[in-house]
Amino acid sequence: MTLLANFLAIAIVLNIIESLVPVIPVPGAKLGFANIVTLIILYVYSFKDSATITILRVLLVSLLTGKLLGPVFYMSFSGAIFATFAMGFFKKTNLFGVLGVSVIGSIFHCIGQIIAGIFVIGSSAVIFYLPIMLVLSIPAGVVTGLITQRFLVIWQTWHNEFEN
Amino acid sequence: METKRFKNKRDFILITILVILVGAIYISFKLFMFTEDAAQAQVYYGTSTEPIVTIDFVNYRVIKNYIQNVPDGYDQNYPIIDEEAQTITLLGDYELNGIRQIVVIKYEFGTANSKPSVEIIQEQSPNNICSREGVSTGKPLICLPNRIRVEFDSSEVDFTV
Repeated sequence: MTLLANFLAIAIVLNIIESLVPVIPVPGAKLGFANIVTLIILYVYSFKDSATITILRVLLVSLLTGKLLGPVFYMSFSGAIFATFAMGFFKKTNLFGVLGVSVIGSIFHCIGQIIAGIFVIGSSAVIFYLPIMLVLSIPAGVVTGLITQRFLVIWQTWHNEFEN
Repeated sequence: METKRFKNKRDFILITILVILVGAIYISFKLFMFTEDAAQAQVYYGTSTEPIVTIDFVNYRVIKNYIQNVPDGYDQNYPIIDEEAQTITLLGDYELNGIRQIVVIKYEFGTANSKPSVEIIQEQSPNNICSREGVSTGKPLICLPNRIRVEFDSSEVDFTV
């Protein structure tokens, strides 16, 4: 529990840093580096925990930045939900490793944000931003995946030493 | 041996396929979208599907469809159309110190050498995404914090009254 709360704090910090650096030329959209934490919890704990932490993260970040229930909030929320469920599903299928699951999560993060954007903006014009977002989401997913992979390997060895 | 659990050869195949797929979408999008000259651009405010201002590139005119509904204490004349400077000014939703900020849109009718275009030249928002987007000849411009957007239309619409 304490550890999960720590993860939540890290996720919030990552999310806020990310929203301060506008790397993508898309209104309200983010690359989803906070997905690192979602992914770690998914592998270390369970899907349920990772979904809970992700929802809490989005809610707390929007509270902290004063954007609760604003247009950006709906986009973040939808993106996070899409990414979490997609990653949970593909982790369960065991088809891919952490890297693959991360890239899938990143792509669904974009799709989720765009779908929410269509409703928030009231126009399908946002779809024009999807190609550039997808192009950027793959490297973002790879970076997120590599960091997570590295973390899990260290975590695993540390745990093994601790237990033996 | 435990670390193998996190790695999978299929990851690289997946990433390669996705890179090719997404690359193809992006390139075809760049090549085939917005090649036609826009016939008109519509300026929208909020989630309304009724454009507040229509820029008619074919007949070189700007039509104010209705007056923006703004609270008391603000200029009641938005959108303000300046035909000399070729700008349209609307009141955005983004607030600085509790005061809503204006959004200035500059339009350019096409000439023999240039396409009709629209650019958001002044706007206040945390990341200034829509004004950094620059001049657009077809790609929609969206100011999310201000809830103002510009969309293009390539089909000519009959304006006979």
